[in-house]
Amino acid sequence: MTRRLSSTTLYTCFLGKWDFWKSFSTSSRVYALILKVNAEMDKDMVAFALNYAQGKKVDYAEVRAHTEKQQGLVLKNGVLEAYVSAVDDGFCVRVLADGGIGFASTNKWTKDEARAVVDMAYKFAKMAKRKDRITFAEEKSVQAKWKAAEGKKLADVPSETRIETMLEIDKDLTSQGVNVPSRMLNMGSNLTEKYFVNTEGSTISSYVPRINVFAFITVVENGKPEQAYKQFGCAGGWEAVDQWKLNERLINETKVLQRVIREAKTIHPGKMDLVCGPEVAGIAAHESCGHPTEADRILGREMSQAGRSFIYPGGPFWLGTDIGSGAVTVVDDPTVKNSYGYYEYDDEGIKARRRYLYKKGKINEFLHNRETAAKLKTRSNGSSRANNYDREAIVRMANTFVEPGDFTEEEIFEDVKQGVYMKSFTEWNIDDKRFNQRYVGREAYWIENGELKHPIARPVIETTTKIFWSAVDAVSKKVEYTAGTCGKSDPMQGVPAFMGGPLVRLREVFMK
Amino acid sequence: MSEALAKTEAIVKKGKALGADEVVARTTFGRYRQTRFSNNQADITVGWNDYVTDIALSWQKRLVATQVHDFQNVDETIKRLYQLAKASKENPQYGGIAKGKFQYSKSKADKTLGRLENQADYVFQAIEAARKEVGKDLNAGGILFTKLEDVYLASSEGPMGEDSRSAIELSIRAFSEKEASGHSVECSSTAKGFNPSRAGEKAGQIAKMAKNPKAGTEGRYDIIFDPLFSGALLGMWGGMTSAFQVMIHLSIFVNKLGQKVASDLVTMRDVPAAYSMSNRVFDDEGVPVKENVLIEKGVLKTYLHNTSTAKIFKTETTGNAGLVAPGPWNLELDAGDMSKDEMFRNVKRGLYLTNTWYTRFQNYATGDFSTIPRDGIFLIENGEVKKSWKDVRLSDNALKMLNNIAGTSKERQHVHWWGEADPPSLSPYVLMKDVQITRPK
Repeated sequence: MTRRLSSTTLYTCFLGKWDFWKSFSTSSRVYALILKVNAEMDKDMVAFALNYAQGKKVDYAEVRAHTEKQQGLVLKNGVLEAYVSAVDDGFCVRVLADGGIGFASTNKWTKDEARAVVDMAYKFAKMAKRKDRITFAEEKSVQAKWKAAEGKKLADVPSETRIETMLEIDKDLTSQGVNVPSRMLNMGSNLTEKYFVNTEGSTISSYVPRINVFAFITVVENGKPEQAYKQFGCAGGWEAVDQWKLNERLINETKVLQRVIREAKTIHPGKMDLVCGPEVAGIAAHESCGHPTEADRILGREMSQAGRSFIYPGGPFWLGTDIGSGAVTVVDDPTVKNSYGYYEYDDEGIKARRRYLYKKGKINEFLHNRETAAKLKTRSNGSSRANNYDREAIVRMANTFVEPGDFTEEEIFEDVKQGVYMKSFTEWNIDDKRFNQRYVGREAYWIENGELKHPIARPVIETTTKIFWSAVDAVSKKVEYTAGTCGKSDPMQGVPAFMGGPLVRLREVFMK
Repeated sequence: MSEALAKTEAIVKKGKALGADEVVARTTFGRYRQTRFSNNQADITVGWNDYVTDIALSWQKRLVATQVHDFQNVDETIKRLYQLAKASKENPQYGGIAKGKFQYSKSKADKTLGRLENQADYVFQAIEAARKEVGKDLNAGGILFTKLEDVYLASSEGPMGEDSRSAIELSIRAFSEKEASGHSVECSSTAKGFNPSRAGEKAGQIAKMAKNPKAGTEGRYDIIFDPLFSGALLGMWGGMTSAFQVMIHLSIFVNKLGQKVASDLVTMRDVPAAYSMSNRVFDDEGVPVKENVLIEKGVLKTYLHNTSTAKIFKTETTGNAGLVAPGPWNLELDAGDMSKDEMFRNVKRGLYLTNTWYTRFQNYATGDFSTIPRDGIFLIENGEVKKSWKDVRLSDNALKMLNNIAGTSKERQHVHWWGEADPPSLSPYVLMKDVQITRPK
């Protein structure tokens, strides 16, 4: 699920509720930002913890340390509410023993504490008393050191520059002749250093800088409000802020909302063609392809939280089953350079690669970690992620998108007699088996004989995964991405992700 | 004074000595444990040890914040924080943090929750209770979570205190078939009287009733919401009373103070009560927490405030800081005079919805949204559950729904759940008229 309001964004996955705002209260842990810029990770302590774990009767153990150097600012209606800067660092131990898993973490870097968390994880693993013993799929050990490309280093960008950048955007938003009485603009960056070791001999060091901007704006005309949220994010440096053209795109968003209020018409419910823009194609790919192909959901491990999947052993949908038309291929790929969900090795030390989840209309591959891969007698495809040292790594998406097709954008529209172009969305959700979904257009236009006409007021598609993907008959050539934060698990873990696609055309779907 | 409070106060003094106008620091030693289970077995047990001090500092109306772990690097961190404040921008609306010395009530935390020996046993009890209802086909998953926090707060403006906060929560979702499930929770601030079997039994009962679900039918229905679902609605409405959310139009309550926003039957409070999982004695500024009536007999009485938002609204803090965003601790919807059974008898044709997830808005200011009922969805005819449904969506308006509340039950339950029912609440069964249900086509 994508979250709308998370500690890093107001956007996708299970990004659900009000945690963003709470995150800037003192009750939150988000205070760990950049003050200890020069803090060095104590790798000897990590080695000590692993060595201590190896002295116990474990089938497997790993130690993962994070240093998260974070900065964030909150701009509310042109006023800087707060600037947060700190370092959140700690390590965790995961143990497999007697067929059970135990996990413990701490942010106290002492040997006594390291022994305490190893003891705790070991005790917890043995406490499971499982009938079915958990095993991990076989993998080779890895020695690796990797990092994401960073142009202008985020650590070198002073707080003044960040503040001025966002104040300037706010000023521009309010000087374009559009009434924008409420603006929430946030900027955050996170420099993530990780160090991973396990009892199989893997040692992996990594560094990923990420920057993100979130905007939530309300436009009011004649007493009528319309709202929009936009998120920008990537792995990389400060150069991304220029590339995003924030002023231009956010100003455009206010004008879109103004036009919706002034000119948008409702549609007569019925069957018609629908052209989804990259943002809508991306959320559909994420929600109704990425999530249902997570193997932990398929096997029931998320049953009480994010739910299960319409794909399950013995059910009507499985690998090789039709789920869409032949025009549909949806992939998840952590290796897209500078993507928000970028990584080279996952949090179990497995090399990342592109996964073809739906391929030419058929269910093709699941997202796996080592636990789910062992259960389904396959190999991990590097989908295990944790959002910090105090979270277990679980099966996650990275960058999920519809692969490009052969159509030009003109060809996509030209033989639509009557239909809707849904360029972006506002409300969206999907049931917990990932089959019954709904997307409501934010920027949308009526199409008549291949031409875009007037704006449409909040058009709705409410349909099933099978109907949605089966109705696709054409896909354009150019993929565009949107940044989001995917939420899953208990406790909630928001992880950065891209969603995207080209233009995707659906024939004869019910719109209202 | 405890050593931890003395160290926390020392941080405040260092900030003041550097030239900060205000400094507040809060140290939390947290011990959190969680067992996750699915397919009737424990998947993982997790322990988190947390040693964290949150520090906020203001200088000439510039608010900055940071964090240290285990009191390490304090001198360097506080110096950098002060430098950050000087490089920051003035917030003309900043109203400061709370001033004065306060007396706090004694914490009622249950220290035993920091040393439960085998918490997985609670899980097995819940599973067995569900199995008694569902039988051999039961497939159950969920979590057992415990929390024990020792909290030490010091402020340059006077507040200083210690608190302990404890909580225990069991959440179980029981499946009787692939598409038939029930969900229930058991939540408390203490282990005393904590009964995981109660949650397992209710989840199992709903799962049993939910067998053989059929696709539901679109239309407008009278609806009875189970406390788990009404807890999610309370979280939605209660969050929107935050003054911060009001200021950024993430709320249906903008400019509605003193106005009728709900049915006469609605009295909603924020009460950080002793029973609650979020029980506490002070907020993040050190202001003693208290009961606040948010909506009284349908009239919006107050927003939730910290000191700074209160100044903007020319009122007093409600003891709900967050230094930037105030928020509710534990919501309560007042009980009505109708029993749950009487409520069902009052419904000629309607639905009983037991849980929901994925609530998303088209527009927070107008309140247009949808949410997806999950677990038991039941058609009621002439006061009795007649059919089990699936695949429907509640697509309506948050403000209109508040006005359509036609009854609250005498029975209330303390609920909290990962997906939607957050913050914790004391929630009754709620009868609501004329709610729109849609389904996929």
